Parts: sequence; C-alpha cells; structure tokens
Amino acid sequence: MLLDFGQLVALLNPQTALGCSLRLHCVIVQQKGASRMVSLTINGKNEDVDVDPAMPILWVVRERFGMTGTKFGCGIAQCGACTVHVDGEPIRSCSTPISAAEGKAITTIEGIAEEDGTLSKVQQAWISEQVPQCGYCQSGQIMSATALLRETPRPTDEQINAYMRGNVCRCGMYGRIRKAIKVAAGIEESSRQEAAT
Amino acid sequence: MKHASILLTAAVSVLGLSACSSESPEPVEQIVVREPGQAEAATPDAAPAQDAVAAGRAAFAACVACHTVEPGEASGAGPNLAGVVGRVAGSVDDYAYSDALQNSGLTWTAQELDAFLADPAAKVPGTTMAVGAVSDAEKRSAIVAYLASLSE
Amino acid sequence: MSDIADARPPRSKAAKWTRRGFIGAGTLVGGALIVGVAIRSGNPVGKLKPIVAGGEGEALINSWVKIDANNLVTAIVPHCEMGQGANSTIAQMLADELDVDWENVRVMDAPADGNYVSHHAARMFVGPGTLPDRPNQVGFMEPTYDGLFTQLGKLAGAYITGGSSSVRSTGQNGMRIAGAAAREMLVAAAAKAWGVAASEISTENATLTHAGSGKSEPYSAFAAAAAEQELPRAPKIKQVSEYRLMGTPAPRKDIPLKVDGTAIFGIDGGPEGDELRYAAIKAPPVVGSSVASMDASTARGMAGVLQILNMGDFVAVVADSYWQAQQALNTIKTTYSKTDIDDLDSEQMFANYSAALDEAGESGGNSKADVGDATAAFQSAATKIDAEYRVPFLAHATMEPMNCTAWVRDGKCDIWTSTQVPLMSRDGAAEGAGVSADDVTMHSVFLGGGFGRRLTPEYTNQAARLAKATGYPIKMIWSREEDTAQDFYRPADISRFQGGLDENGKLVSWNNVHCSDDEPAEAPLVEFYDIPNVSIRGAEVEPPLRLGAWRSVAHSQHGFFVESFVDELAHEAGQDPVEFRRSLLKNSPRHLAVLEGVAKMANWGSDLPEGYGRGIAIARSFNSIVAEVAEVDMTGGMPRVAKMYCCVDAGFAMNPDGLTAQMESGIVYGLTAALYDEITIKNGAVEQSNFHDYHMMRMDDAPEIAVHIINGAPDNIGGAGEPGLPPAAAALTNAIFAASGERIRELPVAKHFA
Repeated sequence: MLLDFGQLVALLNPQTALGCSLRLHCVIVQQKGASRMVSLTINGKNEDVDVDPAMPILWVVRERFGMTGTKFGCGIAQCGACTVHVDGEPIRSCSTPISAAEGKAITTIEGIAEEDGTLSKVQQAWISEQVPQCGYCQSGQIMSATALLRETPRPTDEQINAYMRGNVCRCGMYGRIRKAIKVAAGIEESSRQEAAT
Repeated sequence: MKHASILLTAAVSVLGLSACSSESPEPVEQIVVREPGQAEAATPDAAPAQDAVAAGRAAFAACVACHTVEPGEASGAGPNLAGVVGRVAGSVDDYAYSDALQNSGLTWTAQELDAFLADPAAKVPGTTMAVGAVSDAEKRSAIVAYLASLSE
Repeated sequence: MSDIADARPPRSKAAKWTRRGFIGAGTLVGGALIVGVAIRSGNPVGKLKPIVAGGEGEALINSWVKIDANNLVTAIVPHCEMGQGANSTIAQMLADELDVDWENVRVMDAPADGNYVSHHAARMFVGPGTLPDRPNQVGFMEPTYDGLFTQLGKLAGAYITGGSSSVRSTGQNGMRIAGAAAREMLVAAAAKAWGVAASEISTENATLTHAGSGKSEPYSAFAAAAAEQELPRAPKIKQVSEYRLMGTPAPRKDIPLKVDGTAIFGIDGGPEGDELRYAAIKAPPVVGSSVASMDASTARGMAGVLQILNMGDFVAVVADSYWQAQQALNTIKTTYSKTDIDDLDSEQMFANYSAALDEAGESGGNSKADVGDATAAFQSAATKIDAEYRVPFLAHATMEPMNCTAWVRDGKCDIWTSTQVPLMSRDGAAEGAGVSADDVTMHSVFLGGGFGRRLTPEYTNQAARLAKATGYPIKMIWSREEDTAQDFYRPADISRFQGGLDENGKLVSWNNVHCSDDEPAEAPLVEFYDIPNVSIRGAEVEPPLRLGAWRSVAHSQHGFFVESFVDELAHEAGQDPVEFRRSLLKNSPRHLAVLEGVAKMANWGSDLPEGYGRGIAIARSFNSIVAEVAEVDMTGGMPRVAKMYCCVDAGFAMNPDGLTAQMESGIVYGLTAALYDEITIKNGAVEQSNFHDYHMMRMDDAPEIAVHIINGAPDNIGGAGEPGLPPAAAALTNAIFAASGERIRELPVAKHFA
C-alpha cells in the first residue's frame, strides 16, 4: 500500500473508533479519484455533473438526477428495463457509460410527455390498453416503443417483435404491449377484453 | 395457516442465521475507508507497472458479470478469460461464440485486445459482446495488463 | 402513496362487539368518516394488541374506507400492489357498495405499523356465518384454513398479500361489508337530519337524495354524523344484478403512474436529502455456509467506497453510488465455511429424491388421499400405465431485484422496500436495527413483481443491519446475480404415477407418490375427477436450497404432473384427451363447463397445419378453475407456442380485464419456466446467474393468448393472480406429444432440443 504524506487523507474519526465493533480496521488508503465534469442535456435541461465518466448512465440518471423512472433489472443489457434515448437513439443505460452521452441529449421516461404535460401517444395507448401490471419494465418498454415508432411509423407484427425483444416483461404483457404499439401508431383501434358470460 | 407458518419458520430461521445474541448482531469486520464528503485522493501522475495490474483488476469489475477468470471456471454470458492474452479468438471449449468472433481469425495480442475493447462491435461486427466498450485508453491498457497476469 | 400515521381515529363511538356486529366506525379529525373492522379487547382467543387508543375496551383495526370533507372516498387497502391489480379491484368493490363513482375514488395502502395493524389480532375475532346470505365457507389455501373470517383476519390483520386472495377474501368479505355498512350509516344520518324514513333515501355517486322533498347532500355533509349511527348488524350487500362497478373493467388507479415514471417502487424509495449511501452485497452461495475470510485489498482503493463490511452471513460494500459499491464488491475475494453439501450437484440430488420415492414404493410415505384400494385395483386393471415426471427448482426472477432502503437513527428505523409481508419485514428490520417493531415505519411502495418471492424478510434485515452499523441511510440493492443465487426457490420434484384402465378404457385406479410437502395441500389431489381408487402420498426429502412460494406454489408442479398423466392415460385408452376428461369430470359441472369452454375456443378437433399440435390441461387452484389449450408449432428447432386458449371460472370476475390480464400473466410466467428454465446446483451452489442463463420468454416467442371468462359462482369467488399458471406446462407438453409423438416428462422442454 503506497503512502505519500503529501496525499495522506486522514480517515480515522475518533467517534467512529469508539463506536466500532471489536475488529474494526480503520485504514488509510490512497484512492484514485476518477471523476470529472461531464456536460450533457437531460430531458431538455443542460446539466454539468461531476462524475466518474465510466459510471453507467442508469446510475447517474437515478442517483445524481433523482429520476427514478428508469429502472435497474439485470445490469448486463439483457432485460431492457433501463432503456433511455441518447440523441433519440434507444440505448441500455445500465451498460453505457455517461461519457458516451457527453455533449448529447438524454431523454428518459420523465421527458417523453409533451411540454404541457400531455402524455405521448404511446403513453396514452399504454393506459387505454391497460398494459402495465407491476409496471417495473414499462418505462423501458415505452422508451423502446417510442423509438420504434419514430423509426417505423407503421410497423408489422414481425417488426414489433424483433424491435421489442430486448425488453423483458416478467408479468407477460407482450400481447398488450404489441396492441398498444399498434393503437399508438393508428394501425388498430383501442378495445377492451370481452365481457364475462 | 400452514403456508404462513412455513414462512414464519423460514423467516425466523433466516434471521437466526445472522444473530448470535439477542441484540442486533455486530459486523464481524468493518473497514471504514472514508467518511462521506471526504475527498478522495487525486489520481497519481504515473502508475508503476504493478499498479497497472491492480488498476486493471479494479476496472475489470465491470466485466465480471459476464466473464470468469479462474482457470477451469465455467464460462458465463461471456467466455472464461484465463490465459486469453496470446490465444486464438474463439477457442474456449465451453463457450458458444458468435460466428463473427469464431471466424474472425484474430489472435488476442495486447494490441488486438485493446482495439476490441475500444469498440467491440466495430472490431468484430456481429459479436455477442454488445456492451463493455472501454473508452479510456489508460483503463484499457490496465485491463489488458490484468488479463495478461491471469494464469493459464 | 402516503402514510396516514397522523390519522388514527379517536375513540370509536359506534363500535359494538357481537359475533355479528364486527364493524366499527369512528371519525377522524376534520369530520372524515372511517369504517373498518373492530375488535373488543378481552377476546379470549389469542393475544390482542391494542391498535388504536380506544375507550371501553373498543379498538379499531384496518380502517378500510374514509370519506373526507371534499367528498373524496379513499379505500385503504391492506394489501400490496405487485401488478395483480388487487388494490384497484378491492377499491372498486368497496366503491360499488358505497355507491360512489369510480372517478371519485382514491386508493391508499394501509399503513403497516404497530399502532395500526396487529397481526396478533389475526386470530379468530369474527365468526363464520355472520352474513346470512353467504352460504359458502371459503378457506385460504383450503383446506388448510377453515372459516372465511379467520382467513379474512389472517390476511387483512396479518397484512399478507398472496394466495390469490386479496379480492376473494379481503375484498369480498371485508371491503364490501365496510362499504355497505358505511352507506347505511350515511343514510341513517341523513334520515335523522331530514326527518324522513331511511327507506326513502337513495344514494348515487356519493350523494344522498330524498326524492319526495328534493333534499340532496354529498356524503361529506353527513360523514361525522354517520359515525354516531347504529351499526348495521348485517349490511345489505348488493346482488349481482345490482352491481354497477363490480364486474366491469374499471381502469386501474395505479396504471397512469406506471407510464410516466412517477410510480415509486421499493428500489426508488428513500429519505429526502442527500445523505443516502448505497450498498452492494454478496451472501455465501451455499445454504448453511458463512463468510470465513474476506480479502478487500483492491476494493479499498476503488472510487466512491466508504466502508467494507463482513457481516458474517454476507459481505457488503457501502459507497457513494450503487454502481461503485457493486464494482468494488466484484473485486473482493471471499472464502466460505464448509457445509455437508459442498459436493452436491443436481444429479446427485435427484438420485437422492429418487431413492426416497423407491423407499415409499406403492403404499409408503405420508398419505394425502386414500380412496378405495389403488394398489389392488391397479393389479387387476386391464391396462397398466406408469410414468415418472421431473421438474427442477425455479427462481422467481421478479423484474425488480431484491432491495431495501433503511435508515436507523435515534431509536427509530424507516424502511422502504418492496414486500408482500410488511409486518414480517418490519420485524426483520426491527431485529436488524436493534429497535422495537413499533419504532419501525414501513413506507408503502409499488412492487416490481412479487410472485411469492417477497414473502421473506431477510433482505430488509440485511439493510437494517448495514444502516445500523454504518450510521448512514443505506439503499441496498441486490445485483441480478445475487437475486438469482439467493432466492427461495420453487422446489424440484419427482412424481411417480401408476394408472389402471379397465377393458373399456375407463380409469379405475390412480396411485401417485411425489417428493416433499404440498402447499396448498390440495395441489396433488384429483377429487374432481371421478376415480374410484386413489392413493396419493408424499415422500420426505432434504432440499439443498431454501424453498419458497413460487406463483401457484405446489400447483405449479402438480398441475404439470397430473395433467400430463391424465393425457398419457387418455392416449393409452385410445381416447381423445378432451373426451377422456369429459367422462371423468361428470360429477364436476363447473370443471366441465370450463373444459367445454376452452375446447370450443380452440376449435378442438379441427385441422391444424402440418407440424402443429394441440394439448389441453385443466386445474383448480385458489378456488378458480382454469383450462388451457396450447397450440404448438414443432416445425422449427425448438417448440414454439403459437396460441394459448384459456377458459377461466373464478366464480365472478370483479374486474374482467384484470382477471384476463392475470390469466395472460400466469400463462407467460408458467410457459417461460416450462420451456426454458431450471435452477441447477453444482458444489452446493446455484449455477444460474442472470437472464443469459435463466431465459425469459420475450415478445418474439410469446404466444397469442385468448381468454374467456365464465362467472360460475358469484358467491364463491376465486383468485386471479395464480390460477392461470398450473395448466400451462401440461397444455404445452400435451401439445408437443400431439404434434410429434414425443412425450416430455422432464422440464424444461428446452433440454430435450439442442
């Protein structure tokens, strides 16, 4: 362990020492400071954030900006719950460092609605089709669906399936999601389930 | 009710594992590295070679979700990387590589690894490794140094 | 969702204790009426904790409806919302009885603190048969419970959400009564004030009207006076024909929050301010093991790290960010203490299970059903069929991994966590924080999936201990890898059957032995099938993993076992699987109707394209009967479920869209496991870790699902959250057999296809 008196940082707090349990190790270490200023736009607002550039966008968004709509599901880009847009492109924010968004525009679920608060067509369809059950995956689903419709305004079922396969819904609402995408796209009318006999 | 009693029993036994006394159990070992708000030390200007491996091990923490490094350990979402430096790409037995990587013809020299880590999808289009790019050159070379230190 | 800790009702004036009059009412500050369930202290059964400071031995628990000065009705629901729509549906039932339009209803989670809800009061405080027009006694996890009010008390009082019971128990037998009683008391108050007969007053959309005089007032005008009224001994509950909200697809109140990012889940909750710190943890991979040594030399030097702790039963890093904590944790080398199962793998475990079944043989083990003489009938049967089925451990894999945010200071503890058992979690927090349970505040949140995983308190306990040890408010998040490794799994099981057919192909004997206990006990039973000789037994085994309730619990494996064997019997008898079941179900008319319903939906018997097959399965669980037909496409490398037809009789669908969604959900959850998933063990530890090796069904392999609802018993409603799952696996494998002639007896299906 390297000790450089010029860089020594005293960590031992007398109160902590007294309050600690038997085998407390209070150590003095030299740590690598990793953070620097990163400038970006998030949901239309310019922000400068002092952060480790390797930190994934997901955790910067949730912890530093306090926007908890984007969720953590797997950490290895397998589930899609963390999907946000960077310059309009959908990315898995759990596996994309904040440095990749430097100088760019991040959009999260909190920024998808209109300026005046009106929900987007996709969000409205999600409500009319009663899509979310637990809802944990749905921010990611909506972000992916929004990007899909921007790219392909009238997608076929095959196109929807291929595009959305990266977004897992553990509650199994795939049929409703597909329907809601088509309602938002104007391909199908909204309908509710049949009434009981 | 049977269901709840099973659960309550489970709950008690789960909690029982942690408690050795009737009081809230103390940690066995508690390392206080830093107080919140205390600045971390600045990055040193030049990192000696030994530090590169340590820095690489630290940076590799982002990779362990998919890659194992102990010799003989089973591959996970990505192939086991013990002995990867100098190895022909796509040669770990128990891993199902993408066709792209399997047929890449690469040998993982430090240079090729560095290029791959900088942008995997550009270096090997079609690779399964969709994530994991390391944009910082110093961090990349530290990771390569760490990988080189892994025994076969 | 807000806590109403400051809204404890003062002394209840109208509460009366009789076996019938179990409803209490009181007023809140500001004149809001609050109606709930009252108990009288001194009840000899069980230990009762006073909930609210009450006089004359009266106390109020579980206030279920509150009407405020603005005429807004709040349903206070003692169940968590984990996607099953229970909160909204229960509120819908209450609102209907109360004659309030859905737009004027809000939903709130009942607070789970010691002063408000007592799980000690969950002993019998109301008797069965309170309501004269309620002939059916429905038990929770029947037949383990008896008495619907015991069930009610246990659920509402114990604050558990599970067993597909929120609507059929708390809703049907609690909230509706509270709503109806509140309405009658409001009417009585208005009648007194207006000097007219109560029978002349009508209620509609939170308004009382006396047609004769033209007088009309909102409920809020009489809320305080209503609390003074005589409690109705048996409030008039609506008949089905009078339902206005019940039975309609009223839109859920939580869904708008789940499309704009404002819904707060456990992982999102926490204190205001910027003192929050984050923890990543890792527990020993093998059950029974503890941390022997910890080498944190690299972790100490990593950015953001504040503390590193060895708690004995897990290792933790606390840092300025979750990601920094997890990165540092990933570099820590831990060794663990030895256990007896350090060399155990799945193959050996199944060999042990098989040996247990060998020992039980044809008549040993714990008897769960014994009718006639199954062994003798089998011996003399014209055709003898035997089969063995095998299913693996399964993980819950909720989308939101386990997590808890804990803040311990000044003898108090605040907890934000997704849990199905807030009181049990509260106790876990209290133990970890070293405070009394009454000093723990559980903040209610939405759950990112429950499925039975969140019935345990250990992660809450972990976070509380970290918060206490470090002094920080701590948000502890399990990685997906930790979540997969530290589940309470659906048990692995082996089930052996012997079935005997007579010379006419009629089923005359059924002998089944399987491993371990069943929860619910009815899961392996076949009482609805007309079989004269039945022996069902369980052999005891020692599972190497912690077990828990996995969506539909033991029905998840027995649904597969039973309906696979029935299908094999049908084919041996040379009969169509629907026809074979039809004759067996002749004494079970509701089952028959569901079977016919799904066969019709699926156009059973009609032609299918080359390489396609249909399979059917039926199961009753949590008082709902569900039959499913899978249409499977075998033309690719791996079977693909093209379509799934589902017919469900849940007694009465309180919200048919909600019931439909839960059927869709149970089907996808069940098919995912049946097609792809197994938790396997190597060296005593779980091998799987994340979604690359614990595969999820996705948009491109999910089937089209059609659901048809039969309201077969409006006074005996069944559950929605779980019953869609049990038939799914057998419908799938029965379809695979029909398409290809290959009988799959071991799940997951994927292991049989390269």
